[in-house]
Amino acid sequence: MSAKQEILDRVQHGVGKGYFAQRRAAALAVLEAKARGPQPAIPGALVDRFREKAESLASTLAGVVTWEAVPGAVADYLAANRLGSQAVVTPEIARLDWAGCGMTVDARGAVDADQVGVTGCFCAVAETGTLVLLSGADTPATVSLLPETHIALVDTARIVATMEDAFALLRAERGEVPRAINFISGPSRTGDIEQTIVLGAHGPCRVHLVLVGEGALPPA
Amino acid sequence: MHFQARAGEKVRNPVLQRALQKAKPLFVGKRAKGIAALADDALDFETLRTTCEGIRNRTLADLDVWLDIFEERATASGAEVLWARDGEEVGRLVVDIARRHGVSKAAKSKSMLSEEAHLNEALAAAGIRPVETDLGEYIVQLAGETPSHIIAPAVHKTIEEVEALFAKEHGRPIETRTSADIPDMTREARQVLRQHFLTAEMGITGANFLIAETGTAALVTNEGNGRMVTTLPKVHVVVTGIEKVIPTLEDFATLMRLLPRSATGQSISNYVSLLTGTQREGEHDGPQKTVFILVDNGRANLLGSAYQDMLRCIRCGACMNHCPVYFSLGGHAYGWVYPGPMGSVLTPLYTGIENALDLPHATTGCNQCGSVCPVRIPLPRLMHQLRTDQVERGLRPLSERLAFKAWAWLAGRPALYRWLTRRAARYLSWLAGEDGRIHIFGLAPGWTAGRDLPVAGNRTFHELYKARKRA
Repeated sequence: MSAKQEILDRVQHGVGKGYFAQRRAAALAVLEAKARGPQPAIPGALVDRFREKAESLASTLAGVVTWEAVPGAVADYLAANRLGSQAVVTPEIARLDWAGCGMTVDARGAVDADQVGVTGCFCAVAETGTLVLLSGADTPATVSLLPETHIALVDTARIVATMEDAFALLRAERGEVPRAINFISGPSRTGDIEQTIVLGAHGPCRVHLVLVGEGALPPA
Repeated sequence: MHFQARAGEKVRNPVLQRALQKAKPLFVGKRAKGIAALADDALDFETLRTTCEGIRNRTLADLDVWLDIFEERATASGAEVLWARDGEEVGRLVVDIARRHGVSKAAKSKSMLSEEAHLNEALAAAGIRPVETDLGEYIVQLAGETPSHIIAPAVHKTIEEVEALFAKEHGRPIETRTSADIPDMTREARQVLRQHFLTAEMGITGANFLIAETGTAALVTNEGNGRMVTTLPKVHVVVTGIEKVIPTLEDFATLMRLLPRSATGQSISNYVSLLTGTQREGEHDGPQKTVFILVDNGRANLLGSAYQDMLRCIRCGACMNHCPVYFSLGGHAYGWVYPGPMGSVLTPLYTGIENALDLPHATTGCNQCGSVCPVRIPLPRLMHQLRTDQVERGLRPLSERLAFKAWAWLAGRPALYRWLTRRAARYLSWLAGEDGRIHIFGLAPGWTAGRDLPVAGNRTFHELYKARKRA
């Protein structure tokens, strides 16, 4: 007997029920219902909550009102942190005028030697200050992973309240899930040597977020 | 070696004790803060627990159906689904996949199930180099040890021990290190492991959950190694237990409100990846081959048994982080893959009750584990059930069985019982002397080796009760 058959026989015996077809139909109805558990109450504007949580995760933030201002904000951050003017960007955001701000960018997947990676994001989650990145031809997953510095552009209109809202948006806009959905919450970290938290374990050591659009600038 | 002998050794190991005493308050404090923060969003821990418990129970109640749906959808997305009856079969399957794809090195993200399966040994025996990439697992692998904690594998290691291991592996002299050097040490490991990520042909991970709706593996990490090994190598193998299925993405979102908080107090782990199928049309990264290995290794036998609740476990580690026994001994004393209260239940169930007789007794009965468990597993009750099973299967030592027989005989003869207990109370009171404490008790020297036995007086309960009733 195959391993699969043997295991499923044991499982079926343990479950102790017949009516497989009926139970399967009931399970499919559960998948259709997509019921949510208890939802957090998030007072105030989502962008403010996102900013607060992202900062608490050791990300840094800047804000600009228009997409035209994005390359300038990225160049300023790199200059202020002495990180040069070179970056790998996801093809999705290659159309921005990087050269106009003195930056040299390559639109491709990242390699080990790349020091700075710039990405957009599918949306962001206010509850936890989290970026949601989808893998794809124009959004290679390596750009937010291999370089030591990850800069992410966040459209403030695409900040949703919860992970559930992000899934709803994904279903509405894409229909199916991509190969990888990556929820990123601040720089990579580890506490494996004597429980001392260190930023930059395997992924980026620095995560800088550029908020774009209404509410991107922090309230004065 | 048996648990008792190992326990004695661990209690007397000053280096281990120093590491454990340092870690405990951190674990407890971080979780408490994380759970308390739920209230800021008007979320209630107990309500969330009930929901999470319900999600896990739902799939376990119809696990045959949910596995069927998961397999169907994972296959439809381009992944292959294989099944393994036990650890040995896991090893055979992974080695076979590695050979077919010309793999000489496999980069691993933390997987406790791969420890159950002795997967690293199986790979090495086949000439394939397994490299653990979680920093804690890397340290443990360099030491030739096994993890002593399910989320902090190297919690038993001090900075001096880690430095010695790094110096040897990275080919440099040992330096004197303080905690200020931990960022440098982490960076050194990062550089070494980065090369492994880039050159490994296979990535091996576990899965925190399997999502039936989309045929997806969910991976939760802080270091980013989970992302590395599922993005760079051309083959990705997910080795995980059949009990890990949950229905929907929404259920995953709910569980994520308690998993990281229970483990490290974080509101979310740094990286949460939902992985479905293989590299898509036009994509330049991600595996070209994705294989799920769904492992039984004793799990199916728990379904429908008195121990089914244990299958809800989401491997957060909160039970061991709050366990006085765990923090007195560390994880290696438990003798198998899983330590702490969840290990005291799982080890006898997966390796045979007769092979782990001491573990269900390694409890103070304080129920801290039961009260912090995010999916409400009644751990103390399950340990009690295991002790009951030991008695019913005649697995207790002869001396213990005779002692209980003798007590039962005596308790059935009230006059004799009262006479004897009166004599015993007078004797103990005489032994205790002026200060009412017995310093060395000849009948059970172990009990008084590290503490005094206080004596309650020279009257038995029956005598006191009678006297009070008269008055």
